[in-house]
Amino acid sequence: MLSNLGDGFLIAMTWQNLLLALMGCFLGTLMGALPGLGPANGVAILIPIAFSLGLGPTASLILLTSVYYGAMYGGRISSILLNIPGDEPAMMTCLDGYPMARQGLAGEALTLSGIASFVGAFFATWGLVLLAPQLVKIALLFGPAEYFVLFTLAFATLGGISSTNQAKSAFAAALGLGIAMIGSDSQTGSQRFTFGEIHLYDGIDFLIAIVGLFALSEVFIFLEHHKGGAVGNSGAMKIGRIMPDWPMVRRCIPTMGRGTVIGFIAGVLPGAGASLGSFLAYSVERSTVDPDNKTFGKGDPRGVAAPEAGNNAASGGALVPMLALGVPGSGTTAVLLAVLLQLNITPGPLLFQKNPDIVWGLIAALFIGNVMLLLMNIPMVGLFTRVLLVPTRILMPVVAMISFVGIYSITGSTFDVMLMVGFGLMGWVLRKLDVPMVPIILGILLGNEMEVNMRRAMTISDGDWSIFVGSPLAIVLWVVAIAGFLAPIVVGRVLRRKQAALSDEIAEGD
Amino acid sequence: MSDRIFGAVGLALGIFYLWAATIIPDSFMSDVVGPRAFPYIVGAIICICAIIFLILPDPDPVWPGLRDLAEIIFAGAVMFLYGWALSPAGFVVPTVFATAYLTWRLGTPPLWSLVTGAATSVGIYVVFHLVLGLSLAKGPWGF
Amino acid sequence: MTFKTTFAAAAVLMTALLPVGAQAEFKAENPQCIAPSNPGGGWDYICRTTAKYLFDLGLIDDAMQVTNMSGGGGGVAFAHVTKERNEDNNLIVAASMSTSARIAQGIYEGATKESVHWLATFGAEYGAIAVDADSEYQSLNQIMDAIKADPRSVGIAGGSSVGGYDHIKPMLLAQAAGVEDVTKLKYVAFSGGGEAMTGLLSGSVQALSGDLSEMLGFLESGDIRIVAILSPERLSGHPDIPTAKEQGYDVIGANWRGLYMPAGASDEAKEFWKNAIQTMTESDAFQADLKAASIEPFNNFGADMDAYAAKTIEDVRTLSKEIGIIQ
Repeated sequence: MLSNLGDGFLIAMTWQNLLLALMGCFLGTLMGALPGLGPANGVAILIPIAFSLGLGPTASLILLTSVYYGAMYGGRISSILLNIPGDEPAMMTCLDGYPMARQGLAGEALTLSGIASFVGAFFATWGLVLLAPQLVKIALLFGPAEYFVLFTLAFATLGGISSTNQAKSAFAAALGLGIAMIGSDSQTGSQRFTFGEIHLYDGIDFLIAIVGLFALSEVFIFLEHHKGGAVGNSGAMKIGRIMPDWPMVRRCIPTMGRGTVIGFIAGVLPGAGASLGSFLAYSVERSTVDPDNKTFGKGDPRGVAAPEAGNNAASGGALVPMLALGVPGSGTTAVLLAVLLQLNITPGPLLFQKNPDIVWGLIAALFIGNVMLLLMNIPMVGLFTRVLLVPTRILMPVVAMISFVGIYSITGSTFDVMLMVGFGLMGWVLRKLDVPMVPIILGILLGNEMEVNMRRAMTISDGDWSIFVGSPLAIVLWVVAIAGFLAPIVVGRVLRRKQAALSDEIAEGD
Repeated sequence: MSDRIFGAVGLALGIFYLWAATIIPDSFMSDVVGPRAFPYIVGAIICICAIIFLILPDPDPVWPGLRDLAEIIFAGAVMFLYGWALSPAGFVVPTVFATAYLTWRLGTPPLWSLVTGAATSVGIYVVFHLVLGLSLAKGPWGF
Repeated sequence: MTFKTTFAAAAVLMTALLPVGAQAEFKAENPQCIAPSNPGGGWDYICRTTAKYLFDLGLIDDAMQVTNMSGGGGGVAFAHVTKERNEDNNLIVAASMSTSARIAQGIYEGATKESVHWLATFGAEYGAIAVDADSEYQSLNQIMDAIKADPRSVGIAGGSSVGGYDHIKPMLLAQAAGVEDVTKLKYVAFSGGGEAMTGLLSGSVQALSGDLSEMLGFLESGDIRIVAILSPERLSGHPDIPTAKEQGYDVIGANWRGLYMPAGASDEAKEFWKNAIQTMTESDAFQADLKAASIEPFNNFGADMDAYAAKTIEDVRTLSKEIGIIQ
């Protein structure tokens, strides 16, 4: 196996390929950092370039996987600096990354998240090398019923993540799920909630929602706080140091470990993907090290390390079902699968035997891309943090415009641009009312898969609801879900009594 | 009070959603659960949460005054207009004005706003269209 | 930007080298192929292969972009093309038996054969029924007997939505086996052949209805067993797979592969794409590719294609009435 990997490196380590990897990493980071463009679009955009350059299979894969990993790294940058996720898996990084930046720890947050990204991706790639055949078995343990319970688990553990009011989290999740239902029903083809509007037939792209709810509502918040030129509180944001001190890193090592494992498993499950990986990594970390919600959400470095390790590990894990079963576990792997098919390589159980050069070349490319990204990202932290020196009155409009362009260039529809403005206004109102944004996005992202799996399970069981507790795995997932749902309520109640004496110190609404 | 209004709006939304779910057309054949079951569950959760807001409202947030509210509504309108203007006028020109408006309202002097608008517009055009090769709106002038 | 120039240079070189008879006045610019499904399925294969060969053979100058637009069993893409892109000269869309089946059944709202311009078919493949390698079912007869005893006892996964072609195939088999109400069959719709395969492998369902090409990798690896192929006789490439016919069920499930484009496109564009695809189909490399994916040659272009589309839509309509799934 290791000799295979060695061969892979021999294939991948040419000057041309290294150059392509460098370019891919850079472009990927750029696209990941721009709100509205995520890894899936990044790869999709570069496919025609790869083919028109006439690159061979290995070289194309190196370029595109570098873009993929680059975008996973890049997404965190705008999360931390602007509170706007660059792509959907980076959503969770906002929760603690942005508060860190506001405390003048932007450089540390960026470096730490870069290291966490590296750890997640690096070990996930090893997982891919060593465990791919066995991991497929895990993916096959999950039938439709188990998927449904897994999604339920994700929503159940939402409580308390970004709102103090459980009902508001639940409302936000339901709102997201409701939005996900819009469009053609994938099972029967019936139109749902489209009211004859053809733009809605394809459903509402989560990118529109994510950019509207995060980026544009942020612009509205700034407008509201601006009074005659002096802009809110962010004019004097400090950059601080770049390297986090050793105790901070050391404190995050177990966090990265947990995030990597959870993210990797979520990635291996097709249909769960990187967003669920980073989400679960964050919420598990929070309930492990901070059950009483003292530091998470207020700039805890572990709240940055966990989701970043999680989402990068998930992106490695997602390659397992893609390569071994031909089933993409996320939007990005779907695009990578398309690339393989275009190169006339059909992923499936025999890929490792039939095209070892491709598989090991790809894996070597992942390692190279990863190391390159780590080396590239840490010196660039200083550059990124300069963004904070741009006055908000200029930065925010530019961010808004980039968001518009990101959406327009993908969908080519002005309807979507206007819809995004609608989401922005809605996001502003909901933020005023302390309704969290994260569950809305999660609902839109997971809604269709959740419903479809419920319906598949019900078809299999002939309408018998007991299928959802029909396997030991499903029951375990239920137990975790119920515990995750009840814990914040119980712990919260006890704590509120205890904390009644302590003053309500932090009143930041974000 | 805010939460009570929010609850009422949420309840109305939930009821509307449930109604809209009842009119989902049936296909000639369906699976066991059908296309309506899940939307019913979602609609019910929306209604339950809305009722909770009505009964147990949180303390009110600080709402902006009329002037700031108008500011936000105007900014929203400008963005809508921007989206609408993209197809007839292309990418570059509307972007200059939309960016300039927002920068101006956030407290930049008017002339500098225009400069920022132009720089942003051209910058995005170069990076997205010329370097990354994304398709942007093409107006009568081709940009 | 260096890419663009290199690429342009390469493209110019290619067009200069190849004697391309297909170049009418119309020239494709930023052509796009919509695959109305997620990557990995049959429609996706059509677009990927077409995009690759059109470009490799120098029939188009710009690389063809492949867009996946899944949903509604192809209905989302169909509505997108007829309603938003009806005059687009640079758009082709992957189509197959499922497309015509759904038009026949009136699933794409208001769609008729005339809604789009039918370009070509370039191949067909036969449907197959597979079970897990450890399955208790050894033959199609055993499955059909179990269905006859209780139509809900055998879960069948497929990559098309309820009423789609993957669903019709087992219904036809059940009808041939003498099951009275074939709509009672337990069919579980997945969003593509790949996902349906995981449904089978994870044991959620007992059988899989799909196309042969989607199953070959898993057949070779020994994960599944194919109990029947819905072809008139055994395939030369896979002589050990029994046909449904020889097991007593006279059912043929041929899934053609082809393309359509917007009805409002200019005549020059229609002619251009027809010629381009015909040239592509005649190339040896393309034929070798089809063979590797176990797709049999099956060619219709221009007026032939129009007549074929009309016929196949009518056939499915008759069939669906017979089975009793439409009035």
